[in-house]
Amino acid sequence: MDWEVVWESVPLIWKGAGATVSMFAWALVIGTVGALALALMRLAAAKPLQWFAIGFGWLFRGIPLLILLFFAFFALPELGILLSPFLAAVVGFSLWTAAYQAEVIRSGIIAVPPGQSEASEALGMTKAHYMRRIILPQGLRIMVPPFTGNAITLLKQTSLATLVTVPEMALLTQRIFSNNFKFVEPIFVLGMIYLAMTSVLLILSVAVERAVSLKV
Amino acid sequence: MEWDWGIVGRTFDLLLMGTRLTLVLFFFSLLLGTVLGLVLALMRMSRYRVARWFSLFYIWVFRGIPVLVILFFAFFVVGRQMGLTPVQAGILGLGFSAAAYIAEIIRAGIMSVDQGQSEASEALAMTKRHYMRRVILPQSIRVIIPTYMSNSILVLKVTSVAVAIGIVELTGITRQLSNSTTRPIELFTAAAVLYVFLTTVLVVVQEVLERRFALKT
Repeated sequence: MDWEVVWESVPLIWKGAGATVSMFAWALVIGTVGALALALMRLAAAKPLQWFAIGFGWLFRGIPLLILLFFAFFALPELGILLSPFLAAVVGFSLWTAAYQAEVIRSGIIAVPPGQSEASEALGMTKAHYMRRIILPQGLRIMVPPFTGNAITLLKQTSLATLVTVPEMALLTQRIFSNNFKFVEPIFVLGMIYLAMTSVLLILSVAVERAVSLKV
Repeated sequence: MEWDWGIVGRTFDLLLMGTRLTLVLFFFSLLLGTVLGLVLALMRMSRYRVARWFSLFYIWVFRGIPVLVILFFAFFVVGRQMGLTPVQAGILGLGFSAAAYIAEIIRAGIMSVDQGQSEASEALAMTKRHYMRRVILPQSIRVIIPTYMSNSILVLKVTSVAVAIGIVELTGITRQLSNSTTRPIELFTAAAVLYVFLTTVLVVVQEVLERRFALKT
């Protein structure tokens, strides 16, 4: 391995970090809002809402993420929806995040003992009220580990955006090695940047887990 | 715009060829990942510190790096050096990646077996190798199957990333056909249906296995 090439590659690849991180952040925010909605629909009394949430999860967890990205990138324009590569990727990643995090939020909510909602109802609280003040805060503790696990997966999967031409880190890496035919060095740098990013997220997730855990 | 679902019928043979390659990638990378994952899980619980560290390090690296990057490495670095075909490099990369996840699944399964089982085996003068194989692993299977199978479904979907190193599996062939026929909606929908079909088959296999290995009471 030629260390000079390694050091030259670092700033070139790092230029894509902004796109990587912003795709990750947007998809995580949009996807989590969607996931919360889906989880509540899944637990709602109305059957059509339940079916929608089940169908959504089955569909978007059954299809590879890459197919979602290709669909957003190649097929949506045919329907008259023209998105930039970045937006198409964010749409794909958000759908993926919503489908996976909905399961996490739902299992966190149903893990809270039913006595809690019964007691809230006995106190005359509305469902919306006790969901927000009683159930979700307690479910949060159970949701954190799988939620952060999915978030780390999402960060890694933003690398797939290279296949729909988003100039993120993997794309810039490919640009380097298709120019100078030095493969080891840029791929090594790319791997190390991702490893650093996911390790930071891992440490953060442990900190969050500790922050929300019961103080005894 | 008008739909032309006939395109799916006219290209179905090609889509099936792609599906076949997807299944080849899936089967061999899962096989490689399982063997390697078992070795890593046993190393992780070994009494030798070096083995434990190696396993931990491997899992940290391969779970911390995107599959895409692992495939780049397998294809452009290892594959070029060793003269591998894209499919061989793909299996190598996908398999090494899967191993890191499978190792954790197997380890969790083994740890779920009650401590008393190994103590009793030792009291019966069985060697560690012997009771691992005859007492602990068979009991851990029950715990391993559900997580192993849902991980396998992920492995199946992740084979689509192989398109990045030029393998024309289901996702690859669909992209090519969609570019040449300008019928992306119909073709990607067809590919999605094929993937959902395959993952549904795996869910059924999971149910069968779970029932087969369930405790008979």
